[in-house]
Amino acid sequence: MSLDVQLLDPVEFLQPNRRLLIDTNIFMDPDARRAGGLKRLFERGQDAILENSNPIVVPTKVIGELTKQSRRDPSREAEERTKVAIKKAGIALSFLEDASKVGLVRKDLGDDSNPYADDLFLRIFERFAPAYEMCLLTRDITIKLRIRLLAHRLDKRLLTGVVTKDGDLEIESDQSLFDRGLRKYALRTSNVAEGNGNFKDRSEVASLEPLLEQFRQALDLKAPEAKAGDRPAKPSAPRGSSGRAPTAQPFSSTSKIKPRDAVLAFASLPTEGDRVSWESASKSGTFLLGSLLGEGGEGSVYQGDRNTVVKIFDKEHVTRHRKEKVELLVRSGIQAKGLCIPSAMVCNAAGEFVGYVMPKATGREARTIFNIRKLEKDFPTWNKSDLVDICISFLEQVQHLHSMNIILGDINPKNLMIDDRKNVFIIDADSWQLEGYPCPVGTPMYTSPAMLGKTYADDLRSMEDELFAVGTMLFQIVMTGQFPYMRTGTDGDMVQLIKEGNFAFQYENRNNKDQPDGDWKFIWSHIHKPVKDLFWHTFHKEGKRYRKRPTAVEWLGVFKAYKAYLGNEQFSFDPMSNSVRPIRPKAFKPDTPIRDCPTCGRKHAIAGIWNDESQDYFVPSACNKCRGSSVRGAIPARSARAGLDPPQPATATSTGKTRVSALAKQYGIASKDALEKLSALGEFAKTASSSVGPDAVRRFETAYGAELRSALRQRTKALDPSRRCARCRNPFITYGNVEWHQRAGKPVPTTHKPGPGGTYPPGCFPPSPSPRGSTTTTSTTSDNKPKKKATKQQQTTTTKKKKGFWSWLFD
Amino acid sequence: MAAFNIGADDLVDNPTPRVPVSLCLDTSGSMGGSPIEELVRGVNLFYDAIDEDDDAHDSAEINIVEFNSSAGLVHDFASIERLERISSLTASGATAMGAGVNLALDTLDRRKATYSGSGVLYYQPWLVLMTDGGPTDNIDLAVRRVVDLVEAKKLTVFPIGIGSGADMNTLARFSPNRPPLRLDGLKFKEFFEWLSKSVARVSRSTPGDTVKLDLEGLAGWAEL
Repeated sequence: MSLDVQLLDPVEFLQPNRRLLIDTNIFMDPDARRAGGLKRLFERGQDAILENSNPIVVPTKVIGELTKQSRRDPSREAEERTKVAIKKAGIALSFLEDASKVGLVRKDLGDDSNPYADDLFLRIFERFAPAYEMCLLTRDITIKLRIRLLAHRLDKRLLTGVVTKDGDLEIESDQSLFDRGLRKYALRTSNVAEGNGNFKDRSEVASLEPLLEQFRQALDLKAPEAKAGDRPAKPSAPRGSSGRAPTAQPFSSTSKIKPRDAVLAFASLPTEGDRVSWESASKSGTFLLGSLLGEGGEGSVYQGDRNTVVKIFDKEHVTRHRKEKVELLVRSGIQAKGLCIPSAMVCNAAGEFVGYVMPKATGREARTIFNIRKLEKDFPTWNKSDLVDICISFLEQVQHLHSMNIILGDINPKNLMIDDRKNVFIIDADSWQLEGYPCPVGTPMYTSPAMLGKTYADDLRSMEDELFAVGTMLFQIVMTGQFPYMRTGTDGDMVQLIKEGNFAFQYENRNNKDQPDGDWKFIWSHIHKPVKDLFWHTFHKEGKRYRKRPTAVEWLGVFKAYKAYLGNEQFSFDPMSNSVRPIRPKAFKPDTPIRDCPTCGRKHAIAGIWNDESQDYFVPSACNKCRGSSVRGAIPARSARAGLDPPQPATATSTGKTRVSALAKQYGIASKDALEKLSALGEFAKTASSSVGPDAVRRFETAYGAELRSALRQRTKALDPSRRCARCRNPFITYGNVEWHQRAGKPVPTTHKPGPGGTYPPGCFPPSPSPRGSTTTTSTTSDNKPKKKATKQQQTTTTKKKKGFWSWLFD
Repeated sequence: MAAFNIGADDLVDNPTPRVPVSLCLDTSGSMGGSPIEELVRGVNLFYDAIDEDDDAHDSAEINIVEFNSSAGLVHDFASIERLERISSLTASGATAMGAGVNLALDTLDRRKATYSGSGVLYYQPWLVLMTDGGPTDNIDLAVRRVVDLVEAKKLTVFPIGIGSGADMNTLARFSPNRPPLRLDGLKFKEFFEWLSKSVARVSRSTPGDTVKLDLEGLAGWAEL
């Protein structure tokens, strides 16, 4: 045994003042070196367990995960590993069943309200730390790090480890944990950077980064050596942490809203050249107001000492809330480059509050980069990775404020300044929400659906409201000003657009007919997939993060990965992806031919279009724009599909739309759905790219008419593989049914519906047992009855064995 | 064709929400002489002011409809960068105000449809109606359209009377929410300055916001 681990006798953790818990992955451990360890553990520990009435805890969540795993159909899995895992889960379940009957295991602890077992363990540990010493057996490095940190914070003995072959508890040293954490982080980051990352990878990257840094600081560990020139995402040195005042304490996170704001009385407002007094946290004095720099909606800004400016409120804005807020911020000691936080209160000659001193922001309003022409003119050398840098700088500021329990509230481009070195300055600190003082102003474009219709000054914003604004701002920075909910067919009512939650940019195989005209779809097409994923899930009403929006830390994770991706030609093979304004869809694969346009000379303007039939690339003779206005907007769809996204139909030109409608009519397809259906099939591409004139359409009809009709019919009846039942993870709904729900404006179901007699497919049972407990049991026993075709083939011989299991789980 | 494409690129390249403003101007015979000259100067000044304002520059889109014996389009909507200053307007004939307003409303409708079809955000449009007399055609339809739009909050209208001959009662029919204003003398310059500031103010808000007009600023050019 190396020095990195310590072995403990399991009996030690079965004493009355201690608790031993086991996580799912221990039961699934594929490592042969530890095989049989669990059995030994129980053998060695059983006397102590029974004597102390201290069974080992396996929370319901773990049982649930094992159950889910065991219910997968091994015959449908290609990988041997998966087959073994399914079997292991089954064995573990029967073992646990037996063990619980004889009192060795307790599996009724915990509830299903929390979707992640990790969080559950953390909650259990936090709650019971005052009562017991605890040890969790798990192989998951993230939860290990979390629990170790918790133990440090609470100064309690809370351990994590694995079981050895002999049944001992093997506990890792802090340094070894940290090093393994770093390795996991590196692995996940590279998955994400390579574009192979799934949701879990991205959320792990986002949570591991701050976690590792906290861990390193709390336990005073060696920082890993940073590789030279490797800028992105080093957990050892997040840019934001340097230069922060370490002593600043966060504000309260739970304050109730303060009584309404009121205007304060004062004798006079100072102007240029007037003597005013100032008071910081520790000092005070007087000075003469410098020259007037500008006037805003709430007051005027004057030159102060050196690099400071002074904001003097106008008469309606000298209020109690502002005074008290400024006072709190001045005393908080929060300081950071780029945050224009009040450093001193300013009073007039009569000693009455009239304004404050703050650091001077440099640069220009973020609006400059929200207009692509201004951006191209003012920053001709910038590319996409510069915009990503701005996102990262913005997020670091936001994250710092959030960690202090400050909500910015009125996030909008006028409150952000950007300097030439891409540092973001955040101004308007007196509007921030803190300690129950609301942010009294807002901007509809950045207002969450929940906050729309409320009065900014009378309601506190929630973190979810704030994160809506953060997401919108990020989208606008990388998309050079475009609004996330922009689409065609609006009547200009922005509030309505936000409430609808209809995010129209092309995503995976979804309908994209409402994308705004212009290069926006191309700009979107080139965005790094993990960032795209998070945008889509945040903004689309069917997205997973629509109600639980990504935090600043999470966004930081994906944007740092985006930065790394753009810096790596192997992964980001299309040179246009790093342009602030791509003018064609992203190239399909690294071998896609990319050419400069011979007509207009624009670099990389042409990408090869993949042709399935010839299995080769077709290279157009000119770029989209040069091929004339009739094809403008009609993306050559084969190349779009290329960009990992499916084909896009003629979103732009009305001629394209008219042609599709005419075609649709001939095919007897309701015109409303034509675009969607045709686009999904990718067939319209053939008309769009060969394009002009009725001849092309006729050729298309002759060649593909029959095929298209039959494909449409079949597709309506086919199961949509991208939608899986939330319970059993199997495809469960047909394209036709999805479209029916969407047409009718109803939410698309997320789980199997009960079949005849309230039955469900095997492995897919509604979770809430109590009121319908008997129904659930019935459904289990009725598994042998013939049902829908789809469910029939899923029946396995394990059904009978699971019956007993279900009855205890649900009764 | 090329010019058209540039216009189309202007439209979709710029994600800033637009404020379409239609200037519906009386160019009947009675406007001849200094009124029409002052009007042209005022309009050009308006263009300059919009051009110079950072926000309004990206937002405002302006067209001009004129009416005399019939109605016609002087120029269609375009961003301020593309707008050439007008050199002159010719004053002649009668005062087909009904036709003028209807044409202005039609162009606004078309512009909104273009925004909607291309995926560009916009504010509800503005209609500026200026006349020095009374209508010589039937205005009932035009009045009904304007009133319906204003009441549905889909139009902001500014009816402006020029000189003592302006039929303020007729103008009042076009303005359900506030009384029409009579220009003080030929203070077109002051009016268009005020208008450009108001457009800029709207450009700084977000679509859907209620924007308060700076009514104090009216004092410079209007007789109430």
